[in-house]
Amino acid sequence: MTHDPSQAFSLRGVSKAFRYFRLEDLNLELPLGQIMGLVGPNGAGKSTTIRLLMGLIAPEAGTIEVLGHHVPDEVAAAKAGIAFVSDDMRLFGGATLAWHMRFVASIYPEWDESYARMLLKHFNLRAEQGMRGMSRGEQIKALLLLALARRPRLLILDEPTSGLDPVARHELLSELMQIVRDDSRSILFSSHNTQDVERISDQIAFIDRGRLVDARDKESFLERWRRISLDVPAGVTLPRFKDTVDLTLGERLATLTTDRYEPALHGLLEASGARVTDVQRMSLEEIFVASVMRSRAEVQS
Amino acid sequence: MKSSVFWALVRKDLYVLRGFMLVGTVVGLAALFSMRFGRAGFAIGGILFLTANVASGIFIAMYSLLTERKDHSRLFALSLPISGFKHDLAKLVSGYLSFGIPWTVLTVAGLASFLTPEAAPERGMIIYGLVLQMFVMALFSFVLLWLSIVSSETWAGLMILIANIGFSLFMVTFNQPEIVRPLRTPEINWTPFTVGMFGGELVVIALSVGLAILALSRRRDHI
Repeated sequence: MTHDPSQAFSLRGVSKAFRYFRLEDLNLELPLGQIMGLVGPNGAGKSTTIRLLMGLIAPEAGTIEVLGHHVPDEVAAAKAGIAFVSDDMRLFGGATLAWHMRFVASIYPEWDESYARMLLKHFNLRAEQGMRGMSRGEQIKALLLLALARRPRLLILDEPTSGLDPVARHELLSELMQIVRDDSRSILFSSHNTQDVERISDQIAFIDRGRLVDARDKESFLERWRRISLDVPAGVTLPRFKDTVDLTLGERLATLTTDRYEPALHGLLEASGARVTDVQRMSLEEIFVASVMRSRAEVQS
Repeated sequence: MKSSVFWALVRKDLYVLRGFMLVGTVVGLAALFSMRFGRAGFAIGGILFLTANVASGIFIAMYSLLTERKDHSRLFALSLPISGFKHDLAKLVSGYLSFGIPWTVLTVAGLASFLTPEAAPERGMIIYGLVLQMFVMALFSFVLLWLSIVSSETWAGLMILIANIGFSLFMVTFNQPEIVRPLRTPEINWTPFTVGMFGGELVVIALSVGLAILALSRRRDHI
């Protein structure tokens, strides 16, 4: 098998079935040094995708490569360069954070003790505190400290901000922005919070009901999607565009959502007799919802 | 890697389980000591000794495997650079070490008590002690095997129940006068029953280890 050194990871034709859920024919890749936001509703397949990447579960079809290693066959070598933090991950209850720091440092040669001490202060954690005495937010911060101080090549975060208060969430996202200044590191960040994803990601992938809905760089998402408000006089029929994601028609006003916006569209619409009254950029959340609704409609039809 | 992740995980378990190991050993030794003080001391000490042995085994297996799954710290351990199979193998090794260390201390101390001058008339009972302790190890192996391969708490609870029933049946059988009487001699004699029992225990231990390794090596999903 040939390895692509420019990719942090790639999934090709990956499928995995469970009793009530199936991840189907997933194709996804992340270039080195980029941050990918994996966005999807609860139960969409984000955690399954991440667990496949981590070799925690094995695919039924397709190939997975992480940092140049085939997963799950070479999972230990792949994981040497990965740090993984998940919302439902916990540290060992009977030990302190200091013990965990020594434990992780004993495994990873890249462990940066001074950075760990800095993060300890920054996250307002106490090294001698036992895990059982920590709040959920503190546990997540402790996990992040252990993940970041080992200086991983690929950081995988599964819903890391969901247990955090707004201040801690802001601190975490700022820390992530700081890390990616070093362009050899890559991050996969799963969340259903599109604001977090929009803030830090270069690449965005939407996933819903086990299928990849769309994946591209953030700028093309934001540039290509528009909501166009139209004045449609009586008797005028709007032309049908295949790039129309949604069309809402009122008595005289219409709203058209497209994922292939170009200024030339104005001419085509106005040639039909309609008048473009407004063109709005869409937020990532709006784009996400529209993409998912279209995907569900396609699956049903 | 700076150090073997496998052994780091084994050391981690020994650290996390140190409380159970220590309590099991101290209670077991105290129970052995109390057995020197009359019939009541012997009876209470004997029950306490067995309880320390059996309960620490079940607690260690449950805490090491079930609790880690339940509290999701298993996910953290599996994020380390080790394959799922080797991680699970490390759990088996640490399980045997964390139970085996106190068990060895208690077994050696228990068997040594038959070598004292006061125990000379019944020195043959050392075989009783050996078969009993080996049964405790076989029971632990059985519990560890099942807790390694089942993820449902119901199944795990059922297996622990079966292990407890097995232990009770063993004690009732092993304490029959016709089985114990030939052992109450100054000489150390293996009877056909004790040979069969000891051999059976070794087979259960070997089968449990073998089946656990086989089942873990075939597991594709580790979470």
